[in-house]
Order: sequence, then C-alpha cells, then structure tokens
Amino acid sequence: MAAGVLSHGREAGGLAAWVRARPLVVGIVAAVILLITLILGVGLGSVRISPAETIGVILSRLIGIDIGVTWSPATEAIVWDLRLPRVLTAMLIGCGLAVAGVTFQGLLRNPLADPYVLGTASGAAVGAAIAVLLPVQLVLIEFGLLHGLAFVGALGAAWLVFRLGGTGGKGGLTRLLLTGYAVGSVLAAILTMAMYVSGVELRQIFSFLLGGLGGSSWVRLVVAAPLIIGSSVLIAMRGRSLDGMLLGDAAARHLGIDVSRERGILLALASMATAAAVAISGLIGFVGLVVPHVVRLLVGPAAHRVLPISAIAGAALLSAADLGARLVGDVPVGVVMALLGAPFFLFLLHRSRSGYEL
Amino acid sequence: MSLPDRRRGVALSLVLLAAVLGGCSSGGASPSVAPPSASPSASAAAASPSPTEAPAFPVTLTDDEGTAVDVAAEPEKIVSLTPATTEILFALGAGDRVVATDDGSDYPEEAVALPDVATFSSVDVEKVVALEPDLVLAGGLGFTPADAISRLRDLDVPVVVVYAPSVEGVLKDIELIGTATGTTDTATTLTTQMRSDMDAISDAVATQSPKPRTFYDVGYDDTTGAIFAPAADSFLAEMVTMAGGDVITTGDPNTYELPLETLIEKDPQLIVLGTNPFYSPTPDAVAARRGWDALTAVRDDAIRPVRDIEITRPGPRLPIGLRTLAGAIWPDVTLPAAS
Repeated sequence: MAAGVLSHGREAGGLAAWVRARPLVVGIVAAVILLITLILGVGLGSVRISPAETIGVILSRLIGIDIGVTWSPATEAIVWDLRLPRVLTAMLIGCGLAVAGVTFQGLLRNPLADPYVLGTASGAAVGAAIAVLLPVQLVLIEFGLLHGLAFVGALGAAWLVFRLGGTGGKGGLTRLLLTGYAVGSVLAAILTMAMYVSGVELRQIFSFLLGGLGGSSWVRLVVAAPLIIGSSVLIAMRGRSLDGMLLGDAAARHLGIDVSRERGILLALASMATAAAVAISGLIGFVGLVVPHVVRLLVGPAAHRVLPISAIAGAALLSAADLGARLVGDVPVGVVMALLGAPFFLFLLHRSRSGYEL
Repeated sequence: MSLPDRRRGVALSLVLLAAVLGGCSSGGASPSVAPPSASPSASAAAASPSPTEAPAFPVTLTDDEGTAVDVAAEPEKIVSLTPATTEILFALGAGDRVVATDDGSDYPEEAVALPDVATFSSVDVEKVVALEPDLVLAGGLGFTPADAISRLRDLDVPVVVVYAPSVEGVLKDIELIGTATGTTDTATTLTTQMRSDMDAISDAVATQSPKPRTFYDVGYDDTTGAIFAPAADSFLAEMVTMAGGDVITTGDPNTYELPLETLIEKDPQLIVLGTNPFYSPTPDAVAARRGWDALTAVRDDAIRPVRDIEITRPGPRLPIGLRTLAGAIWPDVTLPAAS
C-alpha cells in the first residue's frame, strides 16, 4: 500500500515529474486560483454589480475607506451579506472536507475513504431528519435544531463507530471500516424510514442530503470557522504521524508513533471538521474524496505537502463550483463539482504513467 | 432537483397540495405551528372593523407560521414567491405593485411578463434583495425554502409566509394579504363574494344523493404504479366534499399515496382526473392502468378530466375550481352562474 511513497523517486520524466519536484509551485498556483475564485465569487452572481461598486462596498465595510463610488443599500446587502459570507463559507467547507478526506484516506489506508466513510454522513442526515420531523422550533443565534442535531448526529455516529470498531490491533483497520459501514447502514435505514414518514417535510430532508451553501451567513461562518480551521491546523501538525501510518502500523511503531493514540486523535479531529462542515452546508460530496487524490497525483503523498495544498485546492474547488451553481441557477453544488472535477481527475489518473497507489 | 417533466409535475401537484394542507412546518429559522384560527390576526390598527379608522400602516401581522411580521408602510414593491399569492395580489388590485414572481406564476396574463426570482425548488435571494422589495409573500410548508426566508428576514425584508389548511384558510390568507398590502376593503369584498359563490355551488349539489364515491386523481407514476390521492382532511378533500362527492382519501393527513388495493377496496364510482401541463393522461390511459379495470368508475366509463389549477391553487379562482369540480361530479345539475 505504500507504493506511492516508494515510487516517489522513479517518476517518469515530463511535466508530471517537473511538477512533483516543485510542490511550492503547485501550492502557489492553487493559492492564485483560490484568490481568483474569491474575486469572481464576490464579483459575479445573478445580479450584475460593477467591480467598482463591489470593491467600494468591501473597502468601506472592511476598513472604512471611501473610494468615491456610490451604491444602493441593496447592492451593499448583496455583496456584504450574501456573496462574501457565501464564498468564504464555501472555502471553509471545501478546506475542511478536503483535509478530513486526506486524513481518513491516510488513516484507513483506503483510497475510497472520504470524510463520510465512518458513518458521519448518515449520522448527520438522521440528526437533520429528526430535527425536521420534530414539531419543535428552536433558534439560537441563527442556528436551528437542524444544524445542532446534524452536528451531534455526525459526531455521535463517528464516536459510536470508533468505540465499537476500535483503533488498534491486528486487522483493526478492516474492523473499523466495516463497523463504519454497518453503523452507517443502520443509520441509513433509519433515515429512509424518516423520509418515508416525513410527508411534506421530505423536501427539507432532501435538500440537506444534496447539500448547498444557500444558508451561508456571517454568524454561521464565524461559528463554524474555529472548529474547521482549528481541526485542520491540528491535523496538519500531526502530518508526521499520518505519513508514518501510511507505511503500515508496524513501520509506524518503529518510527516511534503511538499508532492507536494518534489514530484516535486524528479521527476525532477529522470527524470534528466534517461534522462542523455538514452542520452548516449539508452533505456535499466529491470534494473530500477526490481533492486529496488529485493533490497526491501532483505533489506526491507526503502529508506536509498534501494537507496544506489539499486545503487550498478544496477551498478553491468548492467555491468555484458554488459560483457555477449560482450562475446556472437551480443546480446543486455537488452536481457542478462532480461535472467539473471528475473529468479533470480522470485526466490526471490517465496521465500518471507510474501508476498510483495510496 | 431536476426531475423529468412528468415526475416534476407530480411533485408539483404534491407541493401545490402541500401548500394547502394543514400540519406543522419546521426547520429553518421560522417559528411554526400556528393554530389555524390564529392565522391572520392583524394589529389593533388594521383589525379595526371601521375603514375610516386610524391609518393602516405601520402594521404587525402574524403570518401562517405564527411569525410576527412588521410592515412599516404601504408596500410599493412586492415580490410574490408562489403562484397563489401572485393571483391574490392581482385580484386585490395590487398587481401593479408586484415587481417579481416565481416561474410558476402563470395567471393573470400580466404576471407572466414579470421577472422570475424563484423556481419550483429555489429562491434567488440575491435577485430579490436587488429589487429592494418592501414586502415578500412566500409559501409555507417548505414551498419556499426555509433558508431563503431566514436570509431575507436577516436582511430586514418583511416576509409573510402563507399556507392555507382549508378553504376557510384561503379566505383568511386573502384577508391577511389585504392587510399587508393596504387593500383590506377589497380583500373583504373579494372573500365575501367568494364565500357566497362557493356556498351557492355547494348548496346546489347538497341535496343530491346518493353522493358518488369520488376519487380525485392527483398523479400516477407509470413506472412504479404509485397512486397519488388527496390526504385526509386536506384542502383538496374538502373541495371534493363541497362539490358533492363522497371523497376517497389516503386516510392520513401526511400520506399522499394510496395503495392500489385500498383504491380497489374503496371502489370509486367516479374518477375525477386533475390535469395540468405536467400531468394530462387521457381517460383511456387511466382505464388501461394495471389493476384499475376492477374499479366501478372504470367499468362505467366515469373518468372525467378537469383542469386542476383552479381547484388546487389556494387563490381567488377557487369558486371557478369548485364549479368545475361540481360540474364533473354532477354533470346533470344546473349550477349557479359564476359572478
């Protein structure tokens, strides 16, 4: 399974090798793309607003500078209260899901792992469905019952899987994965039942399952950001453990890594990032599964490169896809992302002559 | 949420239905579960019976989800997010103040040309905000996504959410919208007229008996054979009853599907086929559905298509819908002419 690490030196020539040798270039390109999506994301939308007005609104709200452009209150609300928090939320979620994806794939040594693999998705969805079905209304600083129960459901499912599946010992990984699958199946059955009895509320559950960034606001962003950014930074600080575990548990132990403990901590952090993301944006797929692979194809498997570049790339991809979804109208962001991202991923897979293994 | 047209049609009918059913709404940021009677209670100023009383604005309304909505002054730019509210606004003479609607608003003619800021499944909040509306009318029970409603309210746009669980609820919604738009008198005149028109129609068929066991066909899925029917105690069930039919429902307020076995057991003598641009099977196609040949209505050739828009849309054309429905159930009875 560690072929990726071992094959690092015998890369075929050409562009791929050139890129691989210069991870900083990839990082810079990703950051530039991120910046461009930020500018486009705030500048474009279903309402046409001139760049001067957009810049004027942002400068005046951000640092109080008046650049001599006038705009209407509606323009200000669109730029400052709708577009900017939405773009930043997309970036935050994209970053969190990509980092969680890298972590789950590395920990489980499974290329098909994504942030939702250990029951998080079903847990969150069941939480959301219960919130929709309960005839209770509870709103606390812009967070409804749905957000709260989705968050609790995601974390609860991950905790349950972790407790039942264990983390160490021989065959521990397989056991953990299968436990995740089994718990996920039970939760999925509960979800299906909830949807079946939900009647007219079905639509709300369905839109949670599709995921989307329409509910983004400054308050939600500010609450979710510390959880996601904090978890991501803490994961990045444990990059060495992640690298070690990619080599296998035995090799990791020889490197002095307390495998069982580190695995527990990393799983908890990745689950926290995932739960926070899911609570505010629903189940957005693809980004957490594919971005880590794309980044590994480009810069190799070392965690200290993959984690930060995946964070930037995930942020750029999700915000670009959300912009596309907004411009097209009525399209779920996951659909746009898969349509944009999957062909690019296939292209990279096809080009990588050395073969690719996690 | 891109369903193929026909499924979308079924879904649309269901949501139209949903929009007029009782029950609780949830999720999002809006409080819910208002008892039906509490629907359109206006503030003291507006609820005052005498039209010569104090100015109608500012006014605080309680919408159908129980949310208190402040309307500071008579709205001049109104956005309507459902076809029914669009019809109500135009019927109240506030049509010239409507600046945008949803893409389903197809009546009256003037509404079609207005810009669309919402679709069946989503609201373009940005476009709504850009229009700087001083009143937004939205649909309850998830017709308008809760997220969109809470985003608009965060930005201080007054949003009134309406959904009527019954015919009486529709009339109350019309009066609520009258209060919100400063057309209270027109609204009262309209609802009085609607009430008397509908009473006249149901009186005309009330004496008829026996009432035929009537199945109102809301939708059918050719692939799975799923049958969609009026839910128990629903708006549509009430319409069928008012039109002189012995209505067959799903037996549960939250269920919209009727198993074929149950339909056969209930054995309708009459099938009223609610058709619209998304769902318009012929009576022959209905008769040919698997298992339906067991029904008395099919054997008796009693399958009668009706245009369902006026029947299912909770707006000012309900008397026309009721007349259509009564005419389909009692074709030999002379109904009072519409006023």
